[in-house]
Amino acid sequence: MSGPRLLVTAAAALCAGALATALAQSPKPDSEDKRPSLGTRLSSLPPGRGKGIADRACLRCHSADILRQQRLSEKQWTANVTKMIGWGAEVPEDKRAELVAYLARNFGPDNDRFRPVVTRPLGR
Amino acid sequence: MNRAPAAAMNAVRRRTFLGLAVGAAFAPGTLVGAAPPGVPRARRRLLQVNGYAINAETPLDALTTYLTPNDLFFVRHHWEPTVPDPKTWTLTVDGEVSTPVKLTVADLERMPRTTVTCVLQCAGNGRALYKPPVPGIQWRYGAVGNARWTGTRVRDLLEKAGLKGSARHLHAFGTDRPPGKVPPFHRSLEIEKALEDAVVAYAMNGEPLAPLHGAPARLVVPGWAGDHWMKWLDRLSAQPIPQTGFYMDVGYRYPRVPAGPGVALKPEEMSPVTELFVKSNITEAPNHARVGSAVTIRGFAFSGAPDIAKVELTDDDGATWREAQLDPERDPFAWRLWSFRWTPKELGRGRLLARATDSRGFVQPREAVWNQSGYLHNGWHEVQIEVTA
Repeated sequence: MSGPRLLVTAAAALCAGALATALAQSPKPDSEDKRPSLGTRLSSLPPGRGKGIADRACLRCHSADILRQQRLSEKQWTANVTKMIGWGAEVPEDKRAELVAYLARNFGPDNDRFRPVVTRPLGR
Repeated sequence: MNRAPAAAMNAVRRRTFLGLAVGAAFAPGTLVGAAPPGVPRARRRLLQVNGYAINAETPLDALTTYLTPNDLFFVRHHWEPTVPDPKTWTLTVDGEVSTPVKLTVADLERMPRTTVTCVLQCAGNGRALYKPPVPGIQWRYGAVGNARWTGTRVRDLLEKAGLKGSARHLHAFGTDRPPGKVPPFHRSLEIEKALEDAVVAYAMNGEPLAPLHGAPARLVVPGWAGDHWMKWLDRLSAQPIPQTGFYMDVGYRYPRVPAGPGVALKPEEMSPVTELFVKSNITEAPNHARVGSAVTIRGFAFSGAPDIAKVELTDDDGATWREAQLDPERDPFAWRLWSFRWTPKELGRGRLLARATDSRGFVQPREAVWNQSGYLHNGWHEVQIEVTA
């Protein structure tokens, strides 16, 4: 796949707005063509109280992967949420604690569930 | 594997090393047990750690060639990039110069061409290995690669514009535009480093630079981490003072004095991430071996110094070390491939660890120095091999 096509694909995935759609695809090491192409959006956030806030506040600029791979304490999540609000994340003041609790509950220091997605080489 | 036509490869091998010349391209060296000629098809894949912005690393077992294939080279984006149209793109060189210039792709290609072969490593490569964990992309080993970069020396660009003596820093700008109120990704580097080594590259491994790697042109800063290698470059500005902003004053900074978790360092207690730390990784090792039968272990090593002096391995947790054989193919600030023959003497689980020493005498440490942003991890790399009778 060419660079521009890849960008179009990524943009299309972004515009689709299917925040809750998890396109779980198992990597198939022996069949390169069936692997997803780089930039394919594959993950969503886990269910639970606070997911809706995280979807709206975080997924505008990030795919769910960036959250799912973190292993942060509540203190670290608090600092990061504050930083992201400063950078434009829309989190109502009365929902901030709920968002931090959701992130700390799902992506705390013992989070070992994240696995990268095995993709085709770039441009294929 | 992306292989450029022979003529194109020969063209980009007309190289100059900015004062670090080591001669013509070396023929591929012969490692113990014969190095594989390319990356086998089954290993040709990327590990996507983020769907958007795109972040993907190369599996270690695909980092086995001197030049990392373009389509297997790691990708690190901050945001969805704004890729310039090469037909309308220009590179502006301004600031403390007598005659600001604006160059098109064709203008750049008409200027003297240079090629450097060197490592590009994301500043955060290995962040996932720090304990306790730190926020950011959780790279493990593969946000690194070695490539042949072709383009125009920054020195030539600055001389063309008439660099003034008042210039002390080179500010680099790209077309990348952040979302919301996120600060722009602007960087600068000392003018001496820019004049000595930096290149505005428009080709990678003999092929036009890909959009996801920064086309039409990116900055290449041999020996320094990727935070200075501005993609989608559109302006270089010579200035008396360093760049300011989040990504200079807060982000991409490393503590001057190690400080453990819980110590909140101020920006002035840290310095920008620049030179790479000496590091080696093991890319190939068997899962099993037999007592008395030698097996081959391979890897790469690099540093912010121009060369690697040696790579050593231990199977007794650092009590004794034996040197690996370095491949002869070398370039300043490129990685050295290495191989090592290991003959297990005992049954059970063998632990092999690798460490590199660079040409300055810097030795890779057992543990990387923990830092709050998880930069420049370079602790000893370990593999385990099950040894049977």
